[in-house]
Amino acid sequence: MFRFGRYWRALRDACVPVMRRMFQRAGFWTYLRYAFLTLALLAAGFTLYLDFRVRNEFEGRRFALPARIYARPLELHAGLRISQAAIVDELRQAGYREGPREGESGWFARSSEGLEIALRPFVFWDGPQPALRLRVAFENGATASVRDAQGRDLALVRLEPLAIGGIYPANNQDRVLVRLSEVPKHLVQALLATEDRNFYSHHGFDPRGIARSVVNFFRGRGLQGGSTLTQQLVKNFFLTPERTVQRKLTELIMAMLLELHYDKSEILETYLNEIYLGQDRDRAIHGIGLAALHYFGKTVEHLTLAESALLIGMVKGPAYYDPYRHPQRALERRNIILRETRGVGYVTMEQYASARGTGLGLNPKASMGTSPHPAFLELVHRQLRRDYDEADLRSEGLRVFTTLDPRVQSAAERVLERRLAQYDKEKRFGPPGLEGAIVVTGAQNGEVQAVVGGRDVRYRGFNRALDAARPVGSLLKPVVYLTALAEPSRYTLVTPIEDAPFVWKSRGAPDWEPQNYDRAFHGAVQLRTALAQSYNVATARLGTEIGVERVLATVKRLGVERPLKPYAATLLGAVELSPFEVTQMYQTIASAGFRAPLRAIREVTAQDGRPLKPYPLEVEQAFAAEPAYLLTAAMQGVVREGTAQSLSQWLPPEAAVAGKTGTTDEQRDAWFAGFTGDRLAVVWIGYDDNRAAKLSGAAAALPLWGELMAALGAEPLAPPRPDGIESVLIDPESGLRADVLCPGALELPFARGSAPVERAPCASALGVAVEEAKQQAKGWFERWFGR
Amino acid sequence: MRYFLAVVAILSGCATVQPPSPISEPVPAPAPSVPTGNAAVASLVASARADAAAGRLVQAASSLERALRIEPRNPHLWQELARVRLKQGDYAQVESVAARSNSWAGGDSRLRAENWRLIAQAREARGDAAGARAALEAADRQR
Repeated sequence: MFRFGRYWRALRDACVPVMRRMFQRAGFWTYLRYAFLTLALLAAGFTLYLDFRVRNEFEGRRFALPARIYARPLELHAGLRISQAAIVDELRQAGYREGPREGESGWFARSSEGLEIALRPFVFWDGPQPALRLRVAFENGATASVRDAQGRDLALVRLEPLAIGGIYPANNQDRVLVRLSEVPKHLVQALLATEDRNFYSHHGFDPRGIARSVVNFFRGRGLQGGSTLTQQLVKNFFLTPERTVQRKLTELIMAMLLELHYDKSEILETYLNEIYLGQDRDRAIHGIGLAALHYFGKTVEHLTLAESALLIGMVKGPAYYDPYRHPQRALERRNIILRETRGVGYVTMEQYASARGTGLGLNPKASMGTSPHPAFLELVHRQLRRDYDEADLRSEGLRVFTTLDPRVQSAAERVLERRLAQYDKEKRFGPPGLEGAIVVTGAQNGEVQAVVGGRDVRYRGFNRALDAARPVGSLLKPVVYLTALAEPSRYTLVTPIEDAPFVWKSRGAPDWEPQNYDRAFHGAVQLRTALAQSYNVATARLGTEIGVERVLATVKRLGVERPLKPYAATLLGAVELSPFEVTQMYQTIASAGFRAPLRAIREVTAQDGRPLKPYPLEVEQAFAAEPAYLLTAAMQGVVREGTAQSLSQWLPPEAAVAGKTGTTDEQRDAWFAGFTGDRLAVVWIGYDDNRAAKLSGAAAALPLWGELMAALGAEPLAPPRPDGIESVLIDPESGLRADVLCPGALELPFARGSAPVERAPCASALGVAVEEAKQQAKGWFERWFGR
Repeated sequence: MRYFLAVVAILSGCATVQPPSPISEPVPAPAPSVPTGNAAVASLVASARADAAAGRLVQAASSLERALRIEPRNPHLWQELARVRLKQGDYAQVESVAARSNSWAGGDSRLRAENWRLIAQAREARGDAAGARAALEAADRQR
């Protein structure tokens, strides 16, 4: 970085021969005069060079600010289904403390009336929200009211969103810039008392400071720097850490030059933003602004004298005085700083005593490193890279507002960790253990609420949710049925399909003879039953009847971009997709045939708050409403009476979940994909090395799904009935029209005019006529009075 | 319940009463108020309308997205979003979003008709005169 050495040598090589010749001709005093002149010229040149560097780099210097990534803000309003505990949890994660602190923000207090919150000010993408005092009351698992301090009802308030990481410069330096005017006076005083008492009077270096440090050394107080703040700044800014005389000299000159060009406040402000104040896993904490947030969960202007002293004490050795790791040592150091500050007369004896009496007061927030949710962050990073330069992401201080729902993310992480540990114990297959991935989205808008990329949820490595392409097995079946149901004149939910021996011959490929999971054939089964029971043979027959190419076209319309091979075996899921791709596919089904690209980002703003490219909600109708509705009904059948029946352990039948299990050859992969009224989730479980996991989708993946959705609270699935759909009472045995007297008669949806006309043996002509009249009447009623 | 519905519907059905058709006027009516029981949604719609009127269309759309996160099944919110997309000139999205509104509209024929009119405007703007006519016919059928 610093190339003075090379510069110096080049000059020397040019000058030495010239000087040698001069020595040979003239007398000694002449030589001496020349020598002085040359030296003076060299010194001047060197100083000019340093001056150029100092001005150039200090002025052009902008701190590389990482892109800062935020979770979705929790939007509080009356009637929101959320528990007080969930809000408290979120506030804690954001660094809010329990217990009122008058005159400050960033705390909450619980009482019999509910929750009181002192929101910190926050700049959202659409503008700043000032500090705000809230009172939230609860009733029956929901918020009853949200009011301000004066008791006025507030329609909607956004809580401060959780910072969930950043996209950092190469050395993982993280910082939050502050202005000198925001920094409390006592912090600056503590800094000057400790590091540079003559800061405001010296010109870059301080002989008195050096003398003081020498005196202190001989008094047995240990070796202290003696460097001015300006020198420290120059050292951090321009120079390598080697300790040579040449470097020390350069540092001195540069410090003086810096003082010449810039005033004290500029130097001080830059120092406060540059200074290294510790490490949070792989993230380097730089600057007083970030340190205040990291150690105390507050912005810099609210730092107390004691807190300021703790931070200033860390300047000398951030690792050695790390208050989390060495609290006693850090406390002693802090008290030294307080004493020094009082010694200079900056604070009174009372202030000193009361500061000394306080504890460390550290933020209890667990460390997060570059991100607590690296799998989700990676998705954000990839989506950002479509629109931004990598270098800009790492240095321009962009603020990125994402769709991550911390509650959903944590619940998904917990479920995966717990269940996989349990399976490993039961299986005793030895390490490496089972792996898994979960993706959760908003069913109606395609916003990604959670991504778990493996059981070590903090690990920034292989992201199975995005990158593990695994055979999907029966998860592809709904696509076959959707393609069929788009042709109501040929296929309805009760169309009989032969589940009998089936061989598919194609030129240049071995015969394909699919088998059922139970190795049996079930004869003529209704279409809905073939899906509910996940019959392979019936599905293969249906799929080849429609045509593999058409099924693949459906996969594409559902949003899967990866090209799939047009083999018949594809119908039974002999294709590899990532959990994320599967999620996209099911998203389109969950939102009634409207494809919404999965989004992890809502808004991006520049560092100054100016909104950049928005990431708006976009939908596209990929399917007519009718077949999507019919397929959803069939997938609800999977949960009600098919392979996913065991979901009833977690969710009541009223939830009317639609889902599909998936298990691949030799049970290498266990899948479950399903949706409720508000969320879609896809779960995958298997071994990284493709070992047979001996776990089926229903036995292994489904419990995670059920547990997760039960924990989050599922909204019942009630898709709107499209115009072209009518309900018909059907005898489940025969698949023909039933009346109320038929045992177990089911109301099933049909595309208008496609329902069977024939009467089931159990039904009478009058009964069927009454049913038809009832349905017609219901239709009118709905049309006239709305739903 | 089902029988009650049947009786009510049969009684009213026999009389072949048509719901009163709105008087068709060439003047475009102001956007109807969005029915919602939720004050938060109402406030978001109000600020979306203020933003849209002032030409701050990105903000307007964003407020409507916030409202849709609270009430994803409210077809009026989807329609409101389609209106903003029309102002933004994003005609493909007007059609999709209006269709999404229709999918939640149930028996609300007035809402459906309005959606079809939005679709017609989007098609018109794209130069698809035939498509626009078809959409207007669809709007007329909604009663």
